[in-house]
Amino acid sequence: MPLKHWFYTLPLRLRSLFRRDHVEQDLSEELQFHLDQKIREYLAAGLSSDEARRKACREFGGLELSKENCRDTRRVNYIQDLLQDLRFGLRMLGKSPGFTFIAVLTLALGIGANTAIFSMVNSFLLKPLPVRDPEQITTLAFQLKKGPLLTGFSVPELEDLQAQTTSVFSDVIGDLFGAGGLTVNGKTEPVYVYFVTGNYFTALDIKPHLGRFILPSEGSPTALSPVIVLGYNYWKTRFAGDPSVVGKTIAFDGHPVTVIGVAPKEFHGLLSMADMQGYMPLSMEQVDSAYDRTTPVNRELRSVFVYARLLPGVHFKTAQSALDVIASRLAAQNPKSEEGMTLGVYAERFSRPDPDPDRTILKIATLFLILAGLVLILACVNVANFLLVRATARQREMAIHTALGGTRGRLIRQLLTESIVLALCGGICGVLLGLAGSRALSSIRLHTTLPVLIEFQFDWRVFGYALVVALLTGLIVGTVPALRASGRNMIEVIREGGRSISGSRSRLRSALVVIQVGGSLMLLIVAGLMVRSLNYAQRSDLGFDPRNVLNLTLDPNGIGYDKSKGLQFYKELLERIDTLPGVESASAAFTVPFGYFNDFDLLEVPGYEVPQGTAVPSAGFNAVSPGYFRTLRIPLLEGRDFTDADQEDSQWVAIINEAMAKRFWPKESALGHEFRAVGDRAHLLRVVGVVKNSKTNSMIGVVREYFYVPFAQQYSSLATVQVRTTFPPETLVTSIREQVTALAPMMPISEVRPMLQALYTVNGLLLFQFAAGLTGCLGLLGLILALVGVFGVISFAVSQRTQEIGIRMAMGAGQSSILKMILRQGILIIFAGLAAGVVLALGMASLVGDFVSGVSPYDPLTYFSVSTMLVLVALVACYVPARRATRVDPMIALRYE
Amino acid sequence: MSKPSDLVQGTLDLLLLKILALEPMNGYAISLRLKQVSGEVLQVSDGSLYPALHKLEQEGWITAEWRPTENNRRAKFYSLTRLGIKQLEKESANWGRLSAAISNIVKLKEA
Repeated sequence: MPLKHWFYTLPLRLRSLFRRDHVEQDLSEELQFHLDQKIREYLAAGLSSDEARRKACREFGGLELSKENCRDTRRVNYIQDLLQDLRFGLRMLGKSPGFTFIAVLTLALGIGANTAIFSMVNSFLLKPLPVRDPEQITTLAFQLKKGPLLTGFSVPELEDLQAQTTSVFSDVIGDLFGAGGLTVNGKTEPVYVYFVTGNYFTALDIKPHLGRFILPSEGSPTALSPVIVLGYNYWKTRFAGDPSVVGKTIAFDGHPVTVIGVAPKEFHGLLSMADMQGYMPLSMEQVDSAYDRTTPVNRELRSVFVYARLLPGVHFKTAQSALDVIASRLAAQNPKSEEGMTLGVYAERFSRPDPDPDRTILKIATLFLILAGLVLILACVNVANFLLVRATARQREMAIHTALGGTRGRLIRQLLTESIVLALCGGICGVLLGLAGSRALSSIRLHTTLPVLIEFQFDWRVFGYALVVALLTGLIVGTVPALRASGRNMIEVIREGGRSISGSRSRLRSALVVIQVGGSLMLLIVAGLMVRSLNYAQRSDLGFDPRNVLNLTLDPNGIGYDKSKGLQFYKELLERIDTLPGVESASAAFTVPFGYFNDFDLLEVPGYEVPQGTAVPSAGFNAVSPGYFRTLRIPLLEGRDFTDADQEDSQWVAIINEAMAKRFWPKESALGHEFRAVGDRAHLLRVVGVVKNSKTNSMIGVVREYFYVPFAQQYSSLATVQVRTTFPPETLVTSIREQVTALAPMMPISEVRPMLQALYTVNGLLLFQFAAGLTGCLGLLGLILALVGVFGVISFAVSQRTQEIGIRMAMGAGQSSILKMILRQGILIIFAGLAAGVVLALGMASLVGDFVSGVSPYDPLTYFSVSTMLVLVALVACYVPARRATRVDPMIALRYE
Repeated sequence: MSKPSDLVQGTLDLLLLKILALEPMNGYAISLRLKQVSGEVLQVSDGSLYPALHKLEQEGWITAEWRPTENNRRAKFYSLTRLGIKQLEKESANWGRLSAAISNIVKLKEA
């Protein structure tokens, strides 16, 4: 409609809506004027005043009808009707507060569960990065000879990509995760930073909260620019949000750096779920790194995450084909490092936390949204049932409405408005519940001091979702009762006088309850499977003994210790701890099993022929001090442990796990054989020991190839000291801390926790626990809703059949036969629901199967025990109203009207 | 209720727009004018005149204001808006085409 049109009509519409009495008065006056003129005309023609009036009126036709026709032209009837319906609906709800309360609460639980889970999905999958044109940002990854998908690139590879992709990407940026110590006013604390390329912030195109960002000229890996940009939250907590910090010089790992700016509040870095504390130029990583990333030959020193911004109008497919060309070119130019390379480009939003062709996160999100949706359906069924009961009670009212000329459509509209009002109330309460729920979800303890960001914020997407869900709920809940209520023959209703025993109606209600029982059974089966899976993971043989081990994470580099000083520190600390009472053994390692840091590299094994068509060999590894295997009780099968004699200048050695020994040297002892990790081709590692397999970063699946290197040969400043104790490990925290402080008063300790607790990480038990907890909550919610449904339908049946029961009892029916009669209906519903639930659960099994381990998604034991439990509880819900039926006094029942 | 059905669909709108194009008028005067110009052929009952006027007003083609009449009573005077002028042009053209087509058909002689 053209704008000009609204210029004339909008004031009219507004007037019709908000100045209704004025408009009405105008209308009367206008028509009255006409009549008066007519009367004058007839008077002038000589008629008597009575006759003139009569004639004028007759000619006019129906005055009221004409007025009504004029009103119909105003085009705001829908709005007026809606307002009227809203008022009426609110009044009806206000009249029965008990019903309203239960219905709103039921809907709030359903909508709340959905909102909470959606807020999670939103923050994982939907929320765009707070940068310019976030849909242009892509994540790059590569594979070598169809091996695992890798996201860490080397600096030379990053530079090649930057130079060769200018036709499809406007910018290619890289970041490298780093940990260090930040010293401010003589106090050092651990800090997690990104070392970024110089074009990082210009490519993202965001504005700093304070000061400035790192400049393109500062990012070159060779130019040294000692500057740091602080993360917003870190600036708020460590510097109390002091703006004067910009321009000050602080120390990172003992080196002076100047604070040049503060990142904006909503920007947390490109890694989802992490809240970076600082950003420094990539060159700063080289200051005291053990690795030289800048030498062009070190193409295999891969740990830089690479992102690229698509040029406007360039599609993924175009970018992908450009990368295909570049990959084959790189492979041809660098056969040693990039042979068989394929590059992949992925939308950033679907690559959280890593690009994943299997879309695991999406699957998890779908699963949970389905489960939450099911809870909502159960809630809807309950409320629809309530409304059906109410519709029965309101039959008279509706019959009168129809008798007075209300059309069926108008009646349906009014009933739907009522149910939507109900659902919106439920929606509002649901959002509040969901807020509480997502707070609870956000407070999951990840058992790490890493700056993890889990905030399931409520943004417009979440509110929009809740609104749509609430409106749909209102429509679904209201449609069936409204159609049924309005479809009845009014004469029949008035004649019946509300005494009907309407069989078809209770059949519908029973069918709804069957759905409820089925749905809740499915939820409970899924929850049962998740709980069993958690149990399995908790009980699974880890290959090491996590009990009575205390972990302490330290980073001597943070206070400026160089490698030799750091090694000396760890050696002395371990010796001191060893002498403490209650300590069995102590060791240090770069990472602990199921920790958040994992080293991984591709392998070259002289004499080992990679079978045709299989991936290039790779393995995880860890740098450990002598005594590590004793501390974690990992049995040494062959050879020797590391000793203090394994130093940087002696032969480089490794201890490998059984899986690695079996793969590369299946027919002989692995001892004495040598291999290389491609990240460090300079050193051949000689196998000096073989240990039993133990799990390192996955609770499920077979243990993969893994090796250990001496801490002294591949030193990492950031390391975890592990202490095996004879007492509960918590009791030794103070004395061990004292030893650290005695050795180095400034040394920050970032994490102290028992190993048993450290198993509950994202790659450890946390997700199992989370899945079991969440599905358990949803299952419980579903169960409660189904019980309310069963209880409600049986209670209603009893109340409808009170007369019948009275007659039966008067004719001599015993209590037990009445009980049987009522229970029979309940049992029918429960078993039909059971069958439906099993079918539903079997249908979901393939999706659920991806997320459970140690238990089949068709596990008969779970199906059987959960069904039995549900039947028992549901029978109780039937028994209570059935029992009431047997207490009916025949005399009262017969008089009952 | 009578008559708009007797008129070809939409012609009442055209008549009203045309009458108001000459000068702003109140409802009563419009009814007189209708009778007068059509020589009682087109009968528009008073009862259906007002809904038709209100419809045109809601479409934004005519606009109304309260003014005193010659004998000093307040009456609602309608006048054409700029949109109404365009609409009148459009409908007159339509009417011309339609009536020409119909009269051509009516004049056909049986072969």
